[in-house]
Amino acid sequence: MQVGVDLVEVARVSRLLDENPGIDRSIFTEAELDYCRGTKHAGDRLAARFAAKEAILKAFGTGITDGLSPADLEIVRSPGGRPTVRLLGAARDWAAEHGLVEIEISLSHSGGMALAQAIAIFRPD
Amino acid sequence: MNGGEILDAVRASAAEALAIPAGDVTPGSALVDDLGAESIDLLDMLFRLERKTGVKIKAAELRTFITGGMPPEVFADADGRVSDKAYAHLVTVMPQLGPETRALEATKVINRLTVQNVADLLSTRLAGAAG
Repeated sequence: MQVGVDLVEVARVSRLLDENPGIDRSIFTEAELDYCRGTKHAGDRLAARFAAKEAILKAFGTGITDGLSPADLEIVRSPGGRPTVRLLGAARDWAAEHGLVEIEISLSHSGGMALAQAIAIFRPD
Repeated sequence: MNGGEILDAVRASAAEALAIPAGDVTPGSALVDDLGAESIDLLDMLFRLERKTGVKIKAAELRTFITGGMPPEVFADADGRVSDKAYAHLVTVMPQLGPETRALEATKVINRLTVQNVADLLSTRLAGAAG
């Protein structure tokens, strides 16, 4: 089991998206963008998802320079409101190769900051 | 683009991403160790650089530039430090690194990546595109 945590300023994520037209689709999936931008607190929610992707990569023991794209980690809101993760593309392959069994995440945002924690559970060797 | 223009593009992209004065970014500035760049800043810088130069550098290419494509178990020795083979490669792509690099944790080498190193990577990509 490995844990990852990430904390990011909501304003930093907003600046990243505002000043780099098109970068949103290299970080978030269409479903994430549709969901977040359809809510009142889009900036907070996008920042929380950015933090979640970073936290997941930390729990995997990798980072953005290791070949996994943030857009391959989709944060999905389950019917009960609990966030879950859907792995896509290279992340799905990575998970199969490394024996990933489960990922649990938790998101929060307050006071201009967004926080996420991820726990990755791997099959024992 | 000539070498000076490429370096200017990298310096400007780094400064804009980090929201710091361009004068604070020198060719020898290490993006992480000196300028405090985090992964969000690296993504930001690479996207700005693409807009300025037309060349897309993926974040993963920074790692490949450093490792020369060596797998982690070759790039690091048994203690997780920079291996002899890795060091022999590093002095060619990150010539600012000295012998003390051998004591570094292999996974931390990327923290020493400088503005000039990124400009060199970009130059290589542009030369490849032109060729």
